[in-house]
Amino acid sequence: MLTLDLLINGLIIGVFYALMAIGLSLIFGILKVVNFAHGEFYMVGAYAYTLAALALNLSPWLALPLAFVVGMLVGLMVERTLMRPLYAGYGSWGLRRDEYAVIVTFALSILLINLVDKFIGPYGFRGPALVGIPRIYLGPVIVSGHRLFATIAATVVIIATLLIVRYSYWGRQIRAVAQNRLGASLAGIDPAKVSAIVFALAAGLAAMSGALLANIFNPTPDVGAFPAAKSYVIVVLGGMGSVPGAAMGSLVLGVLESFGGVYVSYQYRDAFGLVLLILVLLFRPQGLLGEKSREV
Amino acid sequence: MQMLADTRGRMRAELWASLVILAGVAILPTVMTNDYWRGVIVVSMYFAMLSIGWNLLAGYTGQFSLAPATFGMIGGYTTGLLAYHLNATGLSGIPAALIVAGMIGFILARIVMRLRGPYLALTTLSFAEIMRLVIGNSIDFTRGDLGLNVPSLFESRLIYYYAMLVVLALIQLGIYALLSSPAGLYLRAIRDDEVAAAGRGIMIVHWKTYAFTISAAISGLAGALYGHFAQLVSPEMGLISQSGLIISMVVIGGLGTLVGPIGGAFLVYVASELLREAGGYQLIIFALLVIVFARFFREGLWGLLSAGHERLMARRAAAPAE
Amino acid sequence: MSYLFVHGLTMAFGGVRALESVTFGIERGELVGLIGPNGSGKTTLVNILSGHLRPDGGRVELDGRRIDGLRPEILARRGVLRTFQLTRVFPRMNAIDNLVAVGCALGLTQREAERRGSKIMEELSLAGLCGLDAGHLSGGQMKLLEFGACFMVPPKIALLDEPFAAIHPTMKEIMAAFIRRYHAAGQTFLLISHDMPVIVELCPRALCLDAGAVIADGLTREVLTDRVVIEAYLGEAAA
Repeated sequence: MLTLDLLINGLIIGVFYALMAIGLSLIFGILKVVNFAHGEFYMVGAYAYTLAALALNLSPWLALPLAFVVGMLVGLMVERTLMRPLYAGYGSWGLRRDEYAVIVTFALSILLINLVDKFIGPYGFRGPALVGIPRIYLGPVIVSGHRLFATIAATVVIIATLLIVRYSYWGRQIRAVAQNRLGASLAGIDPAKVSAIVFALAAGLAAMSGALLANIFNPTPDVGAFPAAKSYVIVVLGGMGSVPGAAMGSLVLGVLESFGGVYVSYQYRDAFGLVLLILVLLFRPQGLLGEKSREV
Repeated sequence: MQMLADTRGRMRAELWASLVILAGVAILPTVMTNDYWRGVIVVSMYFAMLSIGWNLLAGYTGQFSLAPATFGMIGGYTTGLLAYHLNATGLSGIPAALIVAGMIGFILARIVMRLRGPYLALTTLSFAEIMRLVIGNSIDFTRGDLGLNVPSLFESRLIYYYAMLVVLALIQLGIYALLSSPAGLYLRAIRDDEVAAAGRGIMIVHWKTYAFTISAAISGLAGALYGHFAQLVSPEMGLISQSGLIISMVVIGGLGTLVGPIGGAFLVYVASELLREAGGYQLIIFALLVIVFARFFREGLWGLLSAGHERLMARRAAAPAE
Repeated sequence: MSYLFVHGLTMAFGGVRALESVTFGIERGELVGLIGPNGSGKTTLVNILSGHLRPDGGRVELDGRRIDGLRPEILARRGVLRTFQLTRVFPRMNAIDNLVAVGCALGLTQREAERRGSKIMEELSLAGLCGLDAGHLSGGQMKLLEFGACFMVPPKIALLDEPFAAIHPTMKEIMAAFIRRYHAAGQTFLLISHDMPVIVELCPRALCLDAGAVIADGLTREVLTDRVVIEAYLGEAAA
C-alpha cells in the first residue's frame, strides 16, 4: 500500500531530522542564536563513524558511540573557543551578538567543509551498515536492516533526550538557563557550564544522525548541508527553543516531504520545507508551538 | 582617539582610501599585461560591487541577509535570458537586470520585514536556496545546470576592465552620497537601535525596503556585467558558498566601512587566485580569517589600519613635548 | 476635551494586569509628574502612549485625534516624542547626527536640522561634542542627547521616562532648566521620576499609579501627602 509506505518512510526520515533539529533547538534556547555550522557536526559524525569502521576496523556498533563522542568533543571545542563572546558581556561596537553568531558559525561551516575536503578528500565512501540484512518485512512494508535498526537507535536516543530535558536535574538546569540566564546564575547555576553541555550534546546528536545515515547518504564534505537545511525549517516550525516542538516538526516535515515528493514534485521536494519556512515566518513568526514575544 | 570616534570624518577618510585603491586598479594594467590576471581583477570588481551592496544592507542597515550572491545570479540570468530568448543586447539587458533584481529585492524585503537576527538570516538563506533550485531545475527555460551563454559586449578585455571600474567608482560615490544624506542616517539609526529609530519618527518599513532594493539592484547590475564578461552564467553563481565568500570579503575588509567591501574583495579574490595555484587552501584560510576577525578584530583590516594610524599620530603628537 | 485624553486604558501581560482602566487628561502646556512605586505601570503607560505597545483596551486621544494602536513612527510624526528609561542613542553616529536624523525624519531639511541640532546641543552644554560619536559620550551626556532629540521639532507632548535617574547633578540641573524654560514657553510634558524633590520643584500637578490604577491625580503637594499614595509606596506598613 503506497500510503503506508510513504508514511513509514516519512516518519523514518523524520526521526533522523529530529536528531538534528532537537540539538539546534537546544542551542537556540540556551544561546539565542542559530548555529549555521550544525550540518557540519552531522558531517563530522558521518566521517568519524565511517573512518572508525573502515580504517580502524571497528564494529559499526562501536563506531556509533565513538561518533557520538567525537561529535560532542568537537561541539565542546567550538563552544569554548567561539561562543564565549556571546555571553561574556559582548561589547556594542562592531559586530553585535546575532551578527557575530551568524558570521562565525557560517564561516565555521565553510572551514570544516573545506578542511575535510582538503585533508580527507572530496569523494564519498559508504558507511557500513549496522545490520547486514538487506530486507526485513514488517507487514506490508519493506525496510532494510540497517534502516530499521538505525531508526530504532535514533528513536531511543531521542526519547532519552526528551526525558532528560524534561525530568532530570541537568534538564532543569538547561531549561532554567534557557528561560532566564541571569536568574539562573543567581540561583547558583553556572550558565557557562550549561551552555557547554548543551552545545556538546547538540553536536553529539547531530553527529549520531550523520553516523546512522552514513550507510544511506555517503559521507562527503558537504553532506551536512542537506540535513541542516531541513533542521532550520523544523526548528522554526516547532518554535525556536522548543524541544518537543522540534521533535514533532521533524516528523511532520518528513511525512510532508515523503508525500509531496510523490504527489507534487520530486524535483522540488527539497523546496517544500523552504517554502513552508518562509510561510511560517511570515504568518506565525513564533512557529507552530513557540510563544509570542513582545518587544521593548 | 580623534578620528576613530568621529563617524563623519571616518567616512570621508574611508572614501578617499577607497578612491586611492580604485586609482591603483586603474593604472594597474600598465604594469600588469597578463590577460588572465586582468580577468582576475575584473572578477574582483564583480565581487566588490556585490560586497558594497551587502555592506549597505548588513553593515549600514543591520540586515544580515545570507543571499548577496543570489542577486548577482539573478542579474546575470536576467540579461542572459533576455539575450537567449529575445535576442536582446546588453544595452537593454543590463538595465533590465538592475530593475529585475531590485524588484525581487523589494519582494524579499517585504517577506522578511518583521524578522530579526537569526530568523532573517534563515529566511534569506532559504530564499537563496529556492532561487538556485528554481533556476537550476527550469531546464527548458534556463538550461539549468548547463549554464547560459551570454553574448559578449566588447572585444578586448581591457574595455571590460575600465567599463566595470567606472561603474564600480560610480557605485561607490553613489553609496557615499547616500550615506551622507538623511537617508544614510535613517539606515544607520535602524542598525543601531530600531526601537529608538521608530520612536523618533523614522519609517522603519520604508527604509529597510529601500536598503534591500538598492542592495539587490547593485548586485543585479554587477551580475549582468559579470555575465557579459564571462559570457556564461550558471546556478553556481548563487551557491551559498559564494555568499559566504562575499561575507568574508566584507568582514575581513571591514564591515560597516566604506572601504571594507572594496579592499576586502580585491584582497580576498586575488589572494584566492594566488592560493589556488598553491594548492586550493583558500577557502580554509579565508574562513579562518573571518572567524579570527569576527572574534578579535570586529572592524576588519581597515579597523586595524586606522587604529594603528591613530596610535602613530598620538605618539607623534606626544613626542615633541619631550 | 483635554489635549491628551486617556480613557479606560487596560493592559495585561500573561496573567499580570499592568494597567487597570487608567483614565486622565492633560491640558496643553501642562507639566505633569507621573509617580508610583516600582512595577506600578508607569513605563507601560508611556510605552502605550508612544506606540511601542498596543493596549488591550481603552483609548488615547491627542489634540482631538485618536492615537492608540498607532505605530511609534507615526506617533512621532504626530508630535509624541519620548525618552527611554535605559538611554537609547545611535552610538555609531556623530552626536549631532543623532539629532539631525530625528529632525529630518520629522520633516526638517538637512540644513535646518543641523542648525537646530547645534542650537539644542548648545542649550544642553554639549556644544563641543557635536563631532564625536554618540557611543563615546559619557552616560550622562548620552542621556542629555537623547533628551534633546525630543525637541528637534517642538513635540505636542514630551514623555520623559526617568530622565534624572543616575546622572550627575550638574546635568540634572541642565535638564531641569531646559524643561522649565520650554514649559514656560508652552511645551506639554509628562515626566516619570522617582526623584521627589524634582517632581515637587518642576511639576505643578502629579499623577500617581499603583498596581496599574490611578490612585491620585491633582496638585503635586496634595498628591505627595495623600495617605493612599504614601501607603502605596511603603506597602501596608504605614497604615
